[in-house]
Amino acid sequence: MPLVGPASATSVPAKDGIPLVTLNNLVKDFPGVRALRGVSLDLRRGEVHALVGENGAGKSTLIRILSGDVKPDSGSIKIEGQPTVFERPRDARQHGIVTIFQELMIVPDLSVAENIFLGNEPGPALLYSRAKAARKAAEVLAGLGVGSRIDPSERAGNLSTAQRQLIEIARALVLRAPVIVMDEPTAALSENEAAALRRLIVRMRAEGTCFLYVSHRLDEVMEIADRMTVLRGGERVATKDASKIKSTSELIGLMVGRPMAELFPLRNEKIGEVVFSVSGLTRHGVFTDINFDARAGEVVGFAGLVGAGRTEVMRAIFGADRPDGGEIRKDGVVITIRHPCDAIARGIAYLPEDRKDQGLVLTMSGAENVVMASLDECCVAGFVSKSAIRKTARAIADRLQFKGQLDAPAGVASGGNQQKLVIGKSILTGAKVLIFDEPTRGIDVGAKAEIYRLIHRLASEGAAVIIVSSELPELMGICHRIYAMSGGRIRDELSLAEFDEKRILEGAFAAHMAPQASPRAVGAL
Amino acid sequence: MTLSTRTLSSDENRVKPLAFLQRYGREIGLPIIVLLMVIVFSINSAVFLSLPNFRNIGVSAAALAAVSFGQTFAILTAGLDLSVGAIVALVSIVGALVMREHGVVAGLAASLATGVAVGLVNGLVITRFKVFPFIATLAMMSIVSGLALSLSGGVAVTGVPEAFSSLAYARTLGVPIPVVIAVAVLAACIVVLRYTKLGRRIYAVGGNEEAARLSGIPIGAVKIAAYVLSGVCAAVGSLILTARVASGQPSLGVTLPLESVAAVVLGGVSLFGGRGSVVGVAFGVLFISILSNGLNLLNVPSYTQMMVIGGALILAVSLDQIFIGTKAGKGN
Repeated sequence: MPLVGPASATSVPAKDGIPLVTLNNLVKDFPGVRALRGVSLDLRRGEVHALVGENGAGKSTLIRILSGDVKPDSGSIKIEGQPTVFERPRDARQHGIVTIFQELMIVPDLSVAENIFLGNEPGPALLYSRAKAARKAAEVLAGLGVGSRIDPSERAGNLSTAQRQLIEIARALVLRAPVIVMDEPTAALSENEAAALRRLIVRMRAEGTCFLYVSHRLDEVMEIADRMTVLRGGERVATKDASKIKSTSELIGLMVGRPMAELFPLRNEKIGEVVFSVSGLTRHGVFTDINFDARAGEVVGFAGLVGAGRTEVMRAIFGADRPDGGEIRKDGVVITIRHPCDAIARGIAYLPEDRKDQGLVLTMSGAENVVMASLDECCVAGFVSKSAIRKTARAIADRLQFKGQLDAPAGVASGGNQQKLVIGKSILTGAKVLIFDEPTRGIDVGAKAEIYRLIHRLASEGAAVIIVSSELPELMGICHRIYAMSGGRIRDELSLAEFDEKRILEGAFAAHMAPQASPRAVGAL
Repeated sequence: MTLSTRTLSSDENRVKPLAFLQRYGREIGLPIIVLLMVIVFSINSAVFLSLPNFRNIGVSAAALAAVSFGQTFAILTAGLDLSVGAIVALVSIVGALVMREHGVVAGLAASLATGVAVGLVNGLVITRFKVFPFIATLAMMSIVSGLALSLSGGVAVTGVPEAFSSLAYARTLGVPIPVVIAVAVLAACIVVLRYTKLGRRIYAVGGNEEAARLSGIPIGAVKIAAYVLSGVCAAVGSLILTARVASGQPSLGVTLPLESVAAVVLGGVSLFGGRGSVVGVAFGVLFISILSNGLNLLNVPSYTQMMVIGGALILAVSLDQIFIGTKAGKGN
């Protein structure tokens, strides 16, 4: 029975007490893993219900069941008290549940308006009305506060990640669904856009819409949620009123099931010689006169805003883009890098921000991914040997405390485990200079701590580690030195003793501030 | 705190020539090449630039045009229809047989129904039995040609009414009827692809099938519709050819699967689906037809023509990849 908005609530007052959606004892097995072990949850009219948990806790599976993408093995779904089975995504939508997925679901060659109305095209009968779609899309985008920045007739493939995310949100809004499921909606958004989204959620909640809100940004969850459900290892740990949870650390405690271990490990103290240095590196219009160095055993951080040029510098060092000038030295010798394979041959590894697109072949097994760049070592008499692959991969996996299955496709591993596969691939090639770009983006708290420990282990074994990160606490917690970049230049360098959030931010905003107003501008952030 | 304020880099707003080519190269590139070809042939052949010759090109292009427009639907869903040639043969036989016994109107209806039926089977095999379009339509090509041969006993079906076969050489306002039909099919395809929900869903399914599925689009039904449309267009193409030869021919259209795919790809439709327009395909058809007509007039042997057309196809697609495909695909 379809939900038809607030009208049905007034006409059938007896239903007021019945939750919009009741999930009862859901169980779901995937090959090798039990993703959900009997989870129950209810969603009520006009609430924001947060769903939190580490990666692998079962959040995604729960969402996929709610969206009709997968069917539970057992357990029931009730819509306003009526037992319901979702055979396909269309059924969930017809019952008023719309899901905004984290993996952005846009059709690149259709326009923004067409993407917003995908599967729900306006127009009489079989016809599609371009004008009506454009007009209604513009209205919705204006409601999201981005009416001036996104043109409904633009090709969706030309949009930035943040704009694509907004398209997904707009898509749910035009359906006027009573239940909206959001999976990490703000992961790709700027602070302003995220705030606009939160305001919109609050407004729609007042009109009776129910949100199931999944996010790793716990401060955001604390701000917006009415109730919270914590999942761990496929089980529900607790459902609590938000007012009963006092701090994010209490929430983290529930998520990891143990008091939060020290997130950042002790820094490696054996710092060696300068093994890697860059001087005068320039790429016109992108970055200018970049000078920095890294010592064996040292962790060097690059702070800055998105667009400061940090990733571009690292890509140039790795040979993915060609710089216009400057020198790169490894162990004191000037080296020329024209192509990523030159960099790999010199022991320089780059671990990209986008693991799924640039770091892994998702359909191949974890073991095959790990040995992909060093197949020579897994050959017997010139032929690739399966058992050698398994042995080599196992050794690396144990060293990295990889907890997933090496035989399973890399695509099914959790974010933390995928990152370990990428790291494993790099250290197997014998890299001594490791460049991490946003190593913990999209990884939950528990797995973050493990990645940090791993980075320190690599450093203590003599590697020079360079980390690009937009999370300041992360850089301040693990680095020995931090460079602050802004507008394509290095603005500041801080040794461990000098670490200071305000000073790093001044460096990160240097290109964006009028000189006399600088202290206030930073303070206002 | 998280440092994630996005800043606009200044070079995003700069207009670059390469970016312009990437954006519009697909739309303007082929028409320019077709125009250049017309100029070159006009200079080298006294007969090329004349109304009778243009009528000739139009009549010989019409059937390929109709079939290619249908092929476009299949390819836009990231599929392929290799059975179009066999459909042309079967429709030719069925149409001729029914026309001989029951008249032209019944014959036309039976022809179109045959196209729908084969398209429907194609679509069902692909969506219900989950057979890849390449294999499914390859198998259907064999099945349908076999059917055409056994219905006709392997020989031509004669006795097609004069009222029908004369249409192939009739004109309205000086334009040959086959050309009028091809243009009408083109107009219908434009309307379907641009102004109906089905059309937009065909692009959605081809562009990002998962997104389409999770948006509640019945992707199976959309794909079936695409193959049915392909079948109908092939039937129209078959009627044009059947009228020209004034008989039902079981071996009609053997080269059409490859020629239609060539025209569609030349016309800028992505084999990965979701991108391209039927207007581009019209230019792809013109390219092939004008090239072979011009080469004929220059007395280039037909075997050499085959080699030239194959080379042109590789050249066109590789230019597309070099200038547009890779760069635009990875673009911001």
